[in-house]
Amino acid sequence: MVRIRKFEELTEVFFSQGRFRGTVHPYIGQEAIGSTVISNLEEGDYVGSTHRGHGHTIAIGCETKKMLAEMLGKENGLCRGRGGSMHMQDFSRGYLGQNGIVGGGVALTTGAALAAQIKGTKQVAVAFYGEGASNQGVVHETMNMASIWKLPMIFVCENNQFGVTTRVDKSTSVHDISVRAKAYEMAGTTVDGRSVIEVEEAIQEALRRARSGEGPTLIEAKCFRWLGHYFGDNEPTRTREEVEAEKKKDPIQMHKSVLLSEKFATESQLASIEGEVEEEIKQAIAFAEAGPAPDPRSVTDAVFCEPVSL
Amino acid sequence: MTVKTYYNAIATVLAEEMRRDPAVFVMGEDIAEGGGTFSCTKGLLEEFGRNRVRNTPISECGFVGMSLGAAICGLRPVVELMFLDFACNAMDQIINQISKARYMSGGTVKVPLVLRGPQGGWRGKAAQHSQSLETLYMHVPGLKVVCPSSPYNVAGLLRASIRSDDPVIFCEHKNLIPVKGEVPDDPEFLIPLGKADVVRQGRDVTVIASLMCVHFALEVAEKMAKEGISVEVIDVRTLVPLDKATVLESVRKTGRAVVAHEAVKFCGWGSEISSIIMEEAFEYLDAPVARVGAKYCPIPYAKELEDEALPSVADIEQAVRRVLS
Amino acid sequence: MAEIVKMPKQGLQMTEGTILKWFVAEGAQIREGEPFFEVETDKLTLVVDSHHTGTVLKLLAGVGDAVPVMNPIAIIGNVGEDISGLLPQSPILPEKITETVPVVKSVQVSSRDTRFAGDSGERILNGKFVTPRARKIARETNIAIADIAKSFTGSKISSRDVLAFAETEKARVKASPVAQRMADEKGIDLASVKKDSGRIMKADVSAALMRGTSYRRGEKLVPFTGMRKVIASRMLESQKEMAQTHNRIRVDVSELVALREKLAEGGIKVSYNDILVRLVSRVLPEFPYVNASWTEEGILLHEYVNMGIAVGLDEGLVVPVLRDADMLTLAQIAEQGGALVQAAREGRLNPDDFSEGTFTLSNLGMFDTEEFVAIVNPPQAAILAVGSIIRQPVADDAGEVVVKPMMTLTLSYDHRIVDGAVAAKFLQRLKQFIRNPLLAY
Repeated sequence: MVRIRKFEELTEVFFSQGRFRGTVHPYIGQEAIGSTVISNLEEGDYVGSTHRGHGHTIAIGCETKKMLAEMLGKENGLCRGRGGSMHMQDFSRGYLGQNGIVGGGVALTTGAALAAQIKGTKQVAVAFYGEGASNQGVVHETMNMASIWKLPMIFVCENNQFGVTTRVDKSTSVHDISVRAKAYEMAGTTVDGRSVIEVEEAIQEALRRARSGEGPTLIEAKCFRWLGHYFGDNEPTRTREEVEAEKKKDPIQMHKSVLLSEKFATESQLASIEGEVEEEIKQAIAFAEAGPAPDPRSVTDAVFCEPVSL
Repeated sequence: MTVKTYYNAIATVLAEEMRRDPAVFVMGEDIAEGGGTFSCTKGLLEEFGRNRVRNTPISECGFVGMSLGAAICGLRPVVELMFLDFACNAMDQIINQISKARYMSGGTVKVPLVLRGPQGGWRGKAAQHSQSLETLYMHVPGLKVVCPSSPYNVAGLLRASIRSDDPVIFCEHKNLIPVKGEVPDDPEFLIPLGKADVVRQGRDVTVIASLMCVHFALEVAEKMAKEGISVEVIDVRTLVPLDKATVLESVRKTGRAVVAHEAVKFCGWGSEISSIIMEEAFEYLDAPVARVGAKYCPIPYAKELEDEALPSVADIEQAVRRVLS
Repeated sequence: MAEIVKMPKQGLQMTEGTILKWFVAEGAQIREGEPFFEVETDKLTLVVDSHHTGTVLKLLAGVGDAVPVMNPIAIIGNVGEDISGLLPQSPILPEKITETVPVVKSVQVSSRDTRFAGDSGERILNGKFVTPRARKIARETNIAIADIAKSFTGSKISSRDVLAFAETEKARVKASPVAQRMADEKGIDLASVKKDSGRIMKADVSAALMRGTSYRRGEKLVPFTGMRKVIASRMLESQKEMAQTHNRIRVDVSELVALREKLAEGGIKVSYNDILVRLVSRVLPEFPYVNASWTEEGILLHEYVNMGIAVGLDEGLVVPVLRDADMLTLAQIAEQGGALVQAAREGRLNPDDFSEGTFTLSNLGMFDTEEFVAIVNPPQAAILAVGSIIRQPVADDAGEVVVKPMMTLTLSYDHRIVDGAVAAKFLQRLKQFIRNPLLAY
């Protein structure tokens, strides 16, 4: 979580320095969900993410240095500079990748679950998406198919209350998105996305269900994004007070106090984790800045498996 | 060689490939019991079972998107769209996801999937079930586009498409479904993607065509041979990647070209071939390239109207005569 | 280490920000995380925290200044640090964002800039389009399209037309206009004139004329002229078609000589030929078959005598016809015959003057030819060849040798029409008239 937080804070700085092209969608405030869910997965499980997916990318183990290089458009980036901030991907870790289309990754992640079922493995696929995406047709289509075929699938809806400027109560017909699971005869549950404990309970149950062939689960994790939809969003539908109030419920701080009070870790341990992360970030900056720019002549490479000239 | 129908050739190749490679599976509406609306998946359920013969709900966007995920994860889905027009439901998955997955990953993943289905007119299926939209897919980088004009071609090209590691939009034609033709029995018979076929040699004019227009062009060539005019007919077979070399070699020889397709003439792929010829063989031309395509309107229902909207043998003949004049 | 603080980019479209307020003054301390300045963009106003801890060594922009994104606005470091190297030299321009798109005005036809005017007519040659393939082939075979365009009747010159032109060009040989004219006149085929390179010139044609088909000194090849061809074919035809033979007599022409002299004394100039025309045309009516013509249907006997008078011109033999010679007086014969001959010499004869002859008289006496055998002029039945007058010793009726002016007359005739005896009798009768010209009156 700390890593995610620090990385996203760094991207904010870099963005303000004009070093990134396009836009960046920070995950700050939602760290608990991504890290908890993914840390409970096993090797071989698949994860599909969203445009706001740096948190998932880091959680599944992609190196921050490669992520930063990717965002700087460098050849040593995670996707050789071809994808950018919204399209981080690392199939070697089972990370099917982020997606620039809202709800765009849900179908393909469900396809991974289908593949697991066809192959007869115990792999599980987890699709992250937001409450806005939950209204996309394709998400309903895939939930239906996941349910009828009892695919080893977990739908994790990160309900951060806002689809750019639109509040969820203005866009979504239900208050708790997990209710929609019932429409597809699927298991569904709502948890506090700021609480590592609650999220973990939910994901573990969902994994058990998936691996045993009982079918998919929809986990709705209610949360709040601290920053705008993207860097530079002037957030016309949120008030400063609202944001400040949310920031007081920092999932990292909450978990820290849980760890300390339950004596799972000491202050110094936690501090050293933060220190390690800061060091890692520094290395990442050096790595990314030193990376070479991609050769323009390679622009049409890797469209297909064999090279064609069209 | 065995004489088979177009649809039977498809079903045979699907079965052979599914036997050969356990990663191959089929997905689509009504493909299980009954073997598909056009009988293209006949016998597959009985042989391979429901695990690999996935009968889907009516959720094109969903299951086309899922085929992408399955392909990335190492399987080789062959997705049937009952009518290729229905791919429009899945446009985000095709254009924003499937075509770009490999590229955006920096070349680390591959997407070995086939989206196949019948397109085209002459069956009175009207506007939403009779389109020829191959040009749309050609225009998005990252999709291979194939159009088989005969049972022989459909067998060889389908096998090549399934074995290709890239996404293929496989444009069958509903009017060709019942057509019979010779198909090699060899379960390894394969026509490589990206190779056009000179189906009739000639000296005076080149006609480049696909699907039904190939057959129309051959009819025109036969007729004009009696007048001493020799027409060379090229079946493109694959639109992406396009076999430019064969087309240009022919046009350099004849100096006159006609492109004939069922796609709407305005912005149809005939424009692309015409431009390529103009750019790369301008000096060899004795006449401007003529294009034959459907008229600029949705495909109508009434027979007279549908026949008028779609390109005909007479249209192709007229175009050939025009470039010869 | 001093750090440069830059105007942050706070949005995709942001190009510059305006400083509204500095929370920390120059020279004062600041800690990381503390508010440093407030900036306004066209979208929002925000407070920016400091990323560094240290002393504000320099503020590079004042309140109200609009600074482009990523440009330095302040320097934070340690007191006493040398920051001269960090002071900005030139502004950094952010990635171009097109804020406004230029208004595209359509060009009014009336205000079109004439500098850009063009003429599609440049693409046409002599009103004919030329296809790209045609141009290419013309280039490769060194043909000027303009040459094709000159005589091309279609509207579009295609590769086939160029190839066809190339074929005819190969066949067509190039010559200068003078040479071309000369060759046409002499009937020379330019293709047979050998020339290694360049056009065929007059000298080449002359040389070809001299040489003929093989090169040998002293020979001249004369091509067939129209006249020669006609004569040749008629002579041959005459020889082939008829059963031609001849009879000859020798006549004492003393009386003709005396007649001529007498007429000359009287101021009337006649030639022996004129007298003979008169005499022959008076004899012929007695011998209709000698004054006849051969036709497919039968022998045509003429009731009139159209006397053909052979005239030898430089170019060849012509036979103008004196019509109704048997009705003309000697004076008329002399006059009209003379006129005909003159006209023949001057090339003023027309086709009517040659037609419908019934008998021909040919006189080579002026050239000292004593006797000769003429060839009958078909479809006529006969021709009389007149030799020169020679003073010869002959035996007179008394058996004495006397010198007399003698003339040999040879009648060539078509034995299909005229029998030998008839020819003999004709000559005999003519002899009588010559010996006694008054018989002609």
